[in-house]
Amino acid sequence: MSAGAPPLSGPPKPQAKGLNCPKCGAAITLHSFGQAVTVVCGSCHSILDAKDPNLAILQQFEAAIREVKPLIPLGTRGKLRGTDYEVIGFQRRSTVVEGITYYWHEYVLFNPYKGIRYLSEYNGHWNDISICKTLPTTEFGGAAIANYLGETYKHFQSADANTDFVLGEFPWQVRVGEQAAVTDYVHPPRVLSSEKLDKEVTWSIGEYMYGREIWEAFKLPGDPPEATGVYENQPSPVTINVTGIWLAFAAFTVFLLALMAGFDMRAKKEPVLHQTYQYNRADSKGESSFVTDVFELTGHPSTVEVKTFAPLSNHWMYLNYALINQDTGQAWDFGREVSYYSGYDSDGSWTEGKQNDAVVIPSVPAGHYYLRVEPEADPSLPNISYTVDVTHDVPVFGIYGIAFLALLVPVVIISFRAYTFERSRWSESDHPPMELSSFSTSSGDDE
Amino acid sequence: MTQPVANCPNCGAKIVFRWSSSVQTVCEFCKSILVRTDVDLKKVGQVADLPPDSSPIQINSEGKYGNKAFVVVGRILYEYDQGGWNEWHVMMNDGTSAWLSDAQSEYALSLASKAPNLPAAAQVHVGQQFTWSNQRYTVSVITPAHYRGMEGELPFQYWDKTDVTFVDLRTESRKFATLDYSDPEPALYLGEFVEFDDLKLKNLRSFEGW
Amino acid sequence: MFRKFYLLYGFLTLGTAAFGQYHGWSLDTVNQLKNVPKSVRDNPGSYRSVYSGYHHYTGGK
Repeated sequence: MSAGAPPLSGPPKPQAKGLNCPKCGAAITLHSFGQAVTVVCGSCHSILDAKDPNLAILQQFEAAIREVKPLIPLGTRGKLRGTDYEVIGFQRRSTVVEGITYYWHEYVLFNPYKGIRYLSEYNGHWNDISICKTLPTTEFGGAAIANYLGETYKHFQSADANTDFVLGEFPWQVRVGEQAAVTDYVHPPRVLSSEKLDKEVTWSIGEYMYGREIWEAFKLPGDPPEATGVYENQPSPVTINVTGIWLAFAAFTVFLLALMAGFDMRAKKEPVLHQTYQYNRADSKGESSFVTDVFELTGHPSTVEVKTFAPLSNHWMYLNYALINQDTGQAWDFGREVSYYSGYDSDGSWTEGKQNDAVVIPSVPAGHYYLRVEPEADPSLPNISYTVDVTHDVPVFGIYGIAFLALLVPVVIISFRAYTFERSRWSESDHPPMELSSFSTSSGDDE
Repeated sequence: MTQPVANCPNCGAKIVFRWSSSVQTVCEFCKSILVRTDVDLKKVGQVADLPPDSSPIQINSEGKYGNKAFVVVGRILYEYDQGGWNEWHVMMNDGTSAWLSDAQSEYALSLASKAPNLPAAAQVHVGQQFTWSNQRYTVSVITPAHYRGMEGELPFQYWDKTDVTFVDLRTESRKFATLDYSDPEPALYLGEFVEFDDLKLKNLRSFEGW
Repeated sequence: MFRKFYLLYGFLTLGTAAFGQYHGWSLDTVNQLKNVPKSVRDNPGSYRSVYSGYHHYTGGK
């Protein structure tokens, strides 16, 4: 035997076979080199025996529904998972759930070396499907689940699937009108499906694909149909582990608290000025402004807190402050009001305002400073003594508040999006989530 | 290892055995089934033309299983009520004999194994479990089949068989097993499903348009 | 993917908070002026502020 030459006793060289339909004479070409079991005559809707050289007629069906055109025409070749496949068969299937009929389509793909794969399409959602070689195991009790190749799949739906329309070649004895019991288990982006037809159970594993991936793979013109709703195994666009993100948030919060504590301990909170002044209405005719003693701020630039206290009672007081650096002439100018009112009315006693005020001046460098103060008060207030306290290097807790919100908001948004996506997914299943605002006695969960 | 050469007793053509312990082969030219005795070759039957089939593997295809290379030296083609499949006899580079099955482009490689207390065909039913080599196998399908043709070299005598029963057993992994009731004694084959790409097959048949 | 983003974002947020705290950031709005003359110390009335002439009254309920 010379190596490389095909043996003489081998079978004939495989080629696509051209035959004629025994019913209507239309030309029929078989593209699967003997792997097809049935082939459909597209002209007269007869299902023929692909293994019979005479193409015996197995079934005649009425295309009662108007001709369904496959989105991927038979004969198109496309590359999936690095292998070229040719579309050789197509079928439309349907199921009835609570009186509503749902349709979907399946495509039979063929490669002479790799065999047969399937594509399914429903409402713009696609799946790349192949028959399982290893058997999944199922568990019942509570929620039904299936295990396959180390992954756990949750029961999504059980329904009867009818075959309504067929075209092309099939590797099984397809018949229009046949009904299979189909059960889907999901672990997005995969779906595990068991199909029971005439006591034989076949398991298949599918992986979600987007319409544009299919269009690219098969180089189809135009745009794929838009995907509506959330499909059973559609991967969540929010592909995160929600618990993990909340844990990260918790860790960050702990960090934040540590930062707060650390900076709080580090802050000098050094009082540099504590003085009580007297305001007299009589003096305001002249110049009411004055300057405080000079005080020194040391170290790196940090906050300066100016607190004002006045024991007011139903009066207001306004102080125009300026913190002035004696040497550089740099100044921070600000005005603060202190007011306090109280009284009685039909609801009881009330108060408004506060007798003290605090403001924090940011990033004040070291140096010699004084305050220029210009007080003003309610005309009905003759005099009041007020206290000004200046403290150097105080922590600003508002910053931590903002940081906390900044950490919290994205986590809340993402959790909400993940939640609504999953609700949408499971609302189509046999186990829809409970209505949040429902007051009915029935729960959303079926058995 | 030297490759024994002989002449076909029917038509005189040169017959080469690639595997020294091959027991049976088919003469390419006159399609006689030849069985090797200590002394010479004996014709025991005639093989019919093989039907057209879809397997991309052919005699002399080469491939790899794990880290061993193999060559395809023979085949048995089986048929059952739903179709057919091929059992390719392959010779590993360490001299052992294995079987590469091709059923609608689903590939599996298995080796003949010995195990005690193999059940008789009548005693087997779907769902029954066995444990071999520390692995649990569950009977999945029982298929009555018959052989439809053969070519090349086989490690045993195989001809004129009527319906035989094959029992498929599966596991939760890629491992599987087959009980072959071609002979009065049940034969056990243990193997696993393999991906086409992993076999790294060369010298395959060409398909028109592919 | 999001997790990586969030971790980065979280560290940036904490970093910014620490940076701000260290450099003395504050949430209050204050006007900055330059070149206030030294003479203001002797004559505080000569300082002209943004807020001068502010009259504010908050009455009762």
